[in-house]
Amino acid sequence: MKKIPVSMTVNDDEVDIYVPAHWTLLDVLREELELTGAKEGCGEGVCGSCTVLMDGHPVRSCLTLAAEARGARVLTVEGLGGPGMELDPLQQAFIEKGAVQCGFCTPGMLMTAKALLDSKPEATEQEVREAISGNICRCTGYAKIVEAILDASHKSET
Amino acid sequence: MRLPAFEYLEPRDRQEALDYLARYSENASILAGGSDLLVRMKQRLVRTSYVISLKHLKDLDGIRPDEDGRLCLGSNTPLVSIIRSPLLQGAYRGLTDAIRRIGAPPIQHYRGTIGGNLCLETRCLYYNQSAFWRSGRPRCQKDGGEICYAEENSDRCRSANVSDGACALMALDAEIVLESREGERSLPIEEFFTGKGESPFARSPDELVTTIRLPAPETAFGSSFRKLTYRSAIDFALVSASAGVKVEAGRIARARIAVGGAGAAPLLLREASEKLLGKSPEDGDAVAETAAQAGRHAAAFMVDNLGATLEYRQKMAAVLVRKAVQEALARAENGNARGRRER
Amino acid sequence: MDKEFTYIGKRVPRVDSLSRVTGEAVFAADLKLPRMLVGKVKRSHVAHARIVRVDTSKAERLRGVKAVVTGRDTAGVKWGVFRYTQDMEFLPRDKVRYFGEEIAAVAAVDEDTALEALELIEVELEELPAVFTPLDAMASEGPWIHDEYPNNVNVHVEINVGDVEKGFEESYLVREDTFTAAEDDYFMGEPFAVVARFDDGGNLEMWTPNAGPHMKAKPLSNALRMPLNKVRVRKIAIGGAFGGRSEISPADYICALLARKSARPVKLIYTREENTVNVRMGHALITTIKTGVDREGRVLARDITCYMDGGAYSSTGPIATSVPFLCMEQAYRMENVRYNGYRIFTNKPVRGMIRMHGRSFACGVDLQLDRLGEELGIDPVTMRLRNARKAGETTPTGSVVSSCGLTECIEKAAEKIEWRKKYGNLPPWRGIGIGINSVQTGFPLGIRGGSQAFIKFNEDGGVTLNSGVVDNGQGNDQMLVQVVAEELGLPLEDVNLITADTELTANDPGSYSMVSTFAGGNAARLAAIDAREKLFRIAAEALEANPADLVLKDRKIFVAGSPDRFLPLTKVVRMGLIQGRPVSGEGHFAPKVDHRREWVSNPHGQLSEAFSFGATVAEVEVDPDTGQVRVLEVAAAQDCGFAINPMVVEGQFEGSVAMGGQGGMLTEYHFWDGGRCMNPTQLEYKVPLAADMPRIHPIIVESNDPGGPYGAKEAGMSIAMSAAQAYASAIADAIGVTITDFPMTPDKILEAIEKRRQEERK
Repeated sequence: MKKIPVSMTVNDDEVDIYVPAHWTLLDVLREELELTGAKEGCGEGVCGSCTVLMDGHPVRSCLTLAAEARGARVLTVEGLGGPGMELDPLQQAFIEKGAVQCGFCTPGMLMTAKALLDSKPEATEQEVREAISGNICRCTGYAKIVEAILDASHKSET
Repeated sequence: MRLPAFEYLEPRDRQEALDYLARYSENASILAGGSDLLVRMKQRLVRTSYVISLKHLKDLDGIRPDEDGRLCLGSNTPLVSIIRSPLLQGAYRGLTDAIRRIGAPPIQHYRGTIGGNLCLETRCLYYNQSAFWRSGRPRCQKDGGEICYAEENSDRCRSANVSDGACALMALDAEIVLESREGERSLPIEEFFTGKGESPFARSPDELVTTIRLPAPETAFGSSFRKLTYRSAIDFALVSASAGVKVEAGRIARARIAVGGAGAAPLLLREASEKLLGKSPEDGDAVAETAAQAGRHAAAFMVDNLGATLEYRQKMAAVLVRKAVQEALARAENGNARGRRER
Repeated sequence: MDKEFTYIGKRVPRVDSLSRVTGEAVFAADLKLPRMLVGKVKRSHVAHARIVRVDTSKAERLRGVKAVVTGRDTAGVKWGVFRYTQDMEFLPRDKVRYFGEEIAAVAAVDEDTALEALELIEVELEELPAVFTPLDAMASEGPWIHDEYPNNVNVHVEINVGDVEKGFEESYLVREDTFTAAEDDYFMGEPFAVVARFDDGGNLEMWTPNAGPHMKAKPLSNALRMPLNKVRVRKIAIGGAFGGRSEISPADYICALLARKSARPVKLIYTREENTVNVRMGHALITTIKTGVDREGRVLARDITCYMDGGAYSSTGPIATSVPFLCMEQAYRMENVRYNGYRIFTNKPVRGMIRMHGRSFACGVDLQLDRLGEELGIDPVTMRLRNARKAGETTPTGSVVSSCGLTECIEKAAEKIEWRKKYGNLPPWRGIGIGINSVQTGFPLGIRGGSQAFIKFNEDGGVTLNSGVVDNGQGNDQMLVQVVAEELGLPLEDVNLITADTELTANDPGSYSMVSTFAGGNAARLAAIDAREKLFRIAAEALEANPADLVLKDRKIFVAGSPDRFLPLTKVVRMGLIQGRPVSGEGHFAPKVDHRREWVSNPHGQLSEAFSFGATVAEVEVDPDTGQVRVLEVAAAQDCGFAINPMVVEGQFEGSVAMGGQGGMLTEYHFWDGGRCMNPTQLEYKVPLAADMPRIHPIIVESNDPGGPYGAKEAGMSIAMSAAQAYASAIADAIGVTITDFPMTPDKILEAIEKRRQEERK
């Protein structure tokens, strides 16, 4: 199996590895880098659970070849905030507003929301709903997720 | 789901890409975003030895007018740039409306490209399934076999073109530029599609779609796009319609109506379009008659293979055409008004 | 409840959310163990066949393959939820009964090798005639799917109460309608994944999504012929269940078998397609309902016959066949009622319990009530109020309803959407509708019915609660923490949990019968009270007070009314240690149900100690050109007894509206090509998206059940069901036609509109 070199930045860490050419970015994150926050919910780019940011833009890591991420800045939920780091206002809002139930879709949902608020800090409810329409949540009916994202957006304004 | 093994090629420029295509031909697949190709590879619908990434082909990324005022879209232009381009407002709104409806917008639009969407493989629910799902019975025509599971005794593949971009580009009378090491050729969009489900594109294996050329913008021209889905995002079209119309001296001077989700190509409905010619944009009966005719023609191409019932999709073809034509006419007239004010 | 609570009844954030927003929470697929192998399953490519030959020799010879298993490696133990439904071998030896059934499995060093090995397994099958609908299955002349079940009739539940014929005779108006629905499905976020390993003591350790770890351990112990104390199902983060994690999965067993044979840990992750086809899904139903009412719309008699497509195995069959009826007999008063429920085997994937269980049944009852009301000139809300269950009554099959806030739910939901103003006065193509339902809080589960909890104090005053309760994402862990913190006067962060581990925690009924709060919450509460009493005995001596006069608050034990007379909790714990009487707590709770009640042989007696009740009102707008529905507003009211955490309860309501109403009534269904499921993934199975959801008003109604912890009962499921009913009723109101096939997709709605227009033209 032919391996190819992949160099990229993942959550501020320089990564230089060799991986099989047919591995996706999700395969690399989960299996090679042991960053299991991004989830494989469908593997065909529908559910959004594997969403990460590549150079600031949300992408389906299950449909992005690792090779395509060479040279990119990749941000996963682990780099958003957590142990040893401040929580992102989005993470804080998800906790406080009850936007997390089973939590499987949460990492992908947070990354999509992060990209939205980075480009549009004062998103409207409609914009939030449209932005997360590629992230399927089966538990919440989205009500508290939308509330949390709006809450975080108001916080980032101040 | 694991991809099968392949060799990954990353040409630095257009020439290198064309060299690879000449060398590997049918054994190579072009990665132009990936949301179609990689899923089909995971499902083992595509067995390819080489994947050629267009990542570095920066000269194919961008929207520029040429010397004749025609608008050239580089095939590697991300969908998000299409939506945001100031050059693609006004007359071309049918295209931007279509691109907005592709997949899950905020996510797929950064990776997806206009060339990739144009070359979206035709779909059929009996074909777009996992390798396991398809096992245990003979292959279908699109899968290299001889049977059609969507339509009993069909002598050809009945998969449908559901590319939103292709449908809109059909109505806009786009031209597709293909390049190979041997040179360049351009095809009117209706010739870019073969109409065959098994091999829907007139691209030969050594060719690359480099540019999509749109006619120069004109005043009093309007375009539109309508798509029927059960959800507001993610879904492929159950049926779609796009219209491009030109109004002159209070009469419809040109019209192109296209319907997606019906045949293996976006259907260009010439006869139905002609019914509009010479009519007033306010002529509701003419629009209704056109829509009914378009619906009948499109219905003849459809089989029950995209979800929802066949009858419903057939009925909706006419409804979407009617709405698309009405909207395109309204846009053409608004363009008119603005044109007058500008003068 | 006049007691002032610190945590109970409060909107406090869930303690388990932090690990989920940082990506630290470990789901089964996230686990990585040293030398771990990847498992994959070889499946049947036909729907019904005898297994002639399975040749694994080539796969075994492939480099990197460490184990291959087939039916020959099994002890041939058959699994069934009940003794009389043991019909499923996890790796069948003789016969496969649906497209996708397990035939063999491999464990290899990596996924690519495992996939390659599957291709090398040669399977020879002798195909048998297959049946794909209940009616075809019953009409089939065989071979039956299971020899023991002639005509493929798996379960027949028969209930006959009162005098139905007399009821119809006395009725002013009688209607009979038939309602049908295709299969619906869970589509929980997490595809099924399992990790199994044997430790150096020969103990099996397993991490797998479950709705009750003990419900997995016992069948594993049976099938693997291992003592129960050597089967250790561990706690793991679980990405949703909705009824789809209620049973042992063949893959649990297969993964253990591979781990045993390879002597290495094995991880087996399902694709989304496998999670759909090889877990469980909802039943397809054909329900005929005949209802007689008096002039005021009161139901005098009801006769229901239901055929359920059960798929290839019994699964929870007797329960599944009963529950749609039981929900309705709880929600609606009826003295004379007959029910014949049949679950029929077909050569399709196995069906189980689902959150919106039996949508054609529930929606049928409600839509028919609307039509009866229409003929009588009585509006739907009044029809509901006249027939709604009330506290203190007994259901037809003999359950006493101890608490019931259904009338309040109906009134509040209707008021929120301005029913009186809107009903009959909405513009064209707008409609408003109501649905009501009731759900059990627990079933008679025999030895599995009770929950037991233990509390251990640490020397710093913090506690560890040990409980078998499992959290599938609904917030059960949070519930336990709030209960213990409340009873022991501790901050939430002082309460640690050991839960859902079959080695470490005691018996628990699991979450699949909606009883976690009622049983597990009560047990935790009693364990905390037990520990508190011990603390008070020690403190009372030191404070020279009567234990009955002590209170626990803010990590201190006070003499009531004397804020100066207190001892820090930590000190009391340490005193206990020094005095040789360490503080701990034990609590157990089993709901009071009639254990003589049996789903098929004796469907009479107390089914559940408590029942939840819900009413949902929805307002919709239909596009008459396309048949597409936009839902404008939904009010979802449920009597959950008492909301231990209103924020969590609201989340259950909102998710229920999405699954039961928006998805369940508008877009979600499976369709088939013979035994092949045409839409096994979220691309074609249309789970609702954020932009399509309406505004939801969750309304919590609290009837304070006398048996529930702080009065709490089940939360959320009554909404999933009543939301479906409300959507159906609102669409019928908008288009003036009652659609009887669910879900109400745009094609059906448009067809109904056109049919009505044709009739009006005539």
